[in-house]
Amino acid sequence: MESLENPLRRALLKAGTAALGTSITGLSWAQSSGDALTMGVLSQNTGTFAYTGDLVLKGAKLAIEERGGSIQGRKINLIVRDDEGKPAVGVRRLTEAVASDKLKYFGGNFSSAVGLAELEVAKTEKVVQFAAGGSEDFTGSRCSPYTFQWSAHAYTALRATLEYVRQRMPDKKKIYTITADYVFGQSLLHYTQVAAKELGLELVGNDNHPSGERQYTQYFTKALSTRPDIICLLTSGADAVSAVRQFNSFGAKNVQLVGPWTLEVEQMRELSPAMRTGMILGLNYYHEIDSPVNKAFVQAYTKAYKAVPSYASAYGYDSFRTLLLAMDKAKSVEVDAVVKALEGMQYDSVFGPTTMDARTHQSIRPYYVIECKAPEAMKDESDFATIVATGTTPQPPELNECKRTA
Amino acid sequence: MTSLIAAQLINGVAIGMLYALTAFGLSIIKGLLNVPNFAHGAFFAVGAYVCYAADRAGMPFAVSLLLAFLVPAVLGVLVERLGVSRLMNSPYLYQLLFLFGTALVMEQLIIIIWGSVGLSMSPPAFLEGAFDLGFTYLPRYLVFNGCMAALTIMAVYLLIERTRIGSQIRAGIDKREMAQCLGIDVGRLITAGFGLGSGLAGLSGGLVLPLLGANATMGADMMAIAFVVLVIGGLGSIYGAIAAGILVGVIQSVSTVFVPAASTVLIYVAMIVTLTIRPQGLFGER
Repeated sequence: MESLENPLRRALLKAGTAALGTSITGLSWAQSSGDALTMGVLSQNTGTFAYTGDLVLKGAKLAIEERGGSIQGRKINLIVRDDEGKPAVGVRRLTEAVASDKLKYFGGNFSSAVGLAELEVAKTEKVVQFAAGGSEDFTGSRCSPYTFQWSAHAYTALRATLEYVRQRMPDKKKIYTITADYVFGQSLLHYTQVAAKELGLELVGNDNHPSGERQYTQYFTKALSTRPDIICLLTSGADAVSAVRQFNSFGAKNVQLVGPWTLEVEQMRELSPAMRTGMILGLNYYHEIDSPVNKAFVQAYTKAYKAVPSYASAYGYDSFRTLLLAMDKAKSVEVDAVVKALEGMQYDSVFGPTTMDARTHQSIRPYYVIECKAPEAMKDESDFATIVATGTTPQPPELNECKRTA
Repeated sequence: MTSLIAAQLINGVAIGMLYALTAFGLSIIKGLLNVPNFAHGAFFAVGAYVCYAADRAGMPFAVSLLLAFLVPAVLGVLVERLGVSRLMNSPYLYQLLFLFGTALVMEQLIIIIWGSVGLSMSPPAFLEGAFDLGFTYLPRYLVFNGCMAALTIMAVYLLIERTRIGSQIRAGIDKREMAQCLGIDVGRLITAGFGLGSGLAGLSGGLVLPLLGANATMGADMMAIAFVVLVIGGLGSIYGAIAAGILVGVIQSVSTVFVPAASTVLIYVAMIVTLTIRPQGLFGER
């Protein structure tokens, strides 16, 4: 009996392990990792930002497919890991991928909290990270030789959005902020304070809300009691969608709702057009950006996936495309050579001409301000808004806490 | 400050009534079955989606709300008849697992039918906007929600306290064996109670749709609060859920004035404090 059971158990374990492997590996152009270059997408397929995992992967796949699945004579092996939006899981998945798959480059992470945890692993293991979270720490106090930031700096985002608000509504000066109580939200709050001061706007109050909050009427009740001109939502994802819906129920037409880093295309779809009409939003990416690289990307993406790309898919595409451009420039796929090539690199991205800051590794690129259209003004379901301003003001050097030297 | 606290009290009572309505249905089922209905959140989500679908089909809001009650109620009857009742003599865990599995199946069916992207619906035109109280605004729809929840609870109260079937339900909850000895068909009562509780969850889902929207996992968020309300109110008390629901809404709302970041965690603190001081809940019996 014993001798029969053991082989059976072993076979089941093998089958289970194989099934597990399949479930966490997305695709690869080179099945054997022999001389292949392993790149990875670490993102969320479960948890609050579950919708982003697949979108980041779609973008990354397009960038690699453009190169025929190879770079500098090496096949690219693209692996996918679900970090569940949890820093501890992200660290574990990244460590495993470096050890077992010889991962050298990865896109990670859409979530600041997970990305910052992964930053430490990337530094220790000397692998390149292309991050996208909203935290300033990636290129500030925790800047690293191996981490590059695709998203705009929080200062650029807040400055661009509030500058537009200031010009568009010169009479509206009193701002109340509602902030997600984690690293991303607090970073936005800090730069809201900085930008508001620079632009002569008055902050009349702030409330922090816990992540995953679904009930917002109590925050708006409190905020509206201060008679603000503007309510600024410093939150994102499903939390932001709930907040906008509930703000809408107040019918406070004289109060302007502003989201400097709040809703992406995916969340705009969740709101009825009437709910988002007139909202002023700041975006890292919008599919109507007028640049040659973006036009080609939108065309390829729409053809491949029958949908317009969003922040998450643009991040997947543009960060991988940038890494491949840096490998071309370095004429190598070795990490140190590619890092050196990336520092100070000037290239055309989906945003147009872009520069990678040599010291902080912050991409110097525009941030977009959009105004949401009324239902009758929309040409089709994806015609959410008009780009009304772009902001390029970089973070003032005196506010940057990165200790690296160029 | 006084006016702000007053505003939050009104807001808290309004959202508390919704918590009460959701937990009230859960409490009826718990009382009859003695098993927490792990699928209650899924019925809540079904109610929201049915309301959305009816609205999109051009039905009046009142009809959409009625369907948000009826469809989950019928589903609840089917779930009870086809599954729960067959496991009545099985160990407690089997019923729990069945209800948990049912919730997962319903969530996936929602995704298959309506997709994974959340949906929104605006309130009817006459409920848009807010009352200007001078010191703050109070959304009309939130007031409507609170009133609807209160009226529904009142109607169910009258059904339970003033009708023959209500007295049988009470007998089934309080003295099940005795009710059976007196010739009451407790099995049918349980089915009816399960349907009623599921319908109330669905109606709650329909009511909150313009505020919270609809997504497949919305039931899980509401379930957490409904269980807190149930525990604070007392697991054996169907009316405890009403008082506890309002209490939880008020705690969540008023605490925003002082410690907004802790407003959600405070409702769990209230539950722990209740369990520590009075383990049977505020209105439960040992």
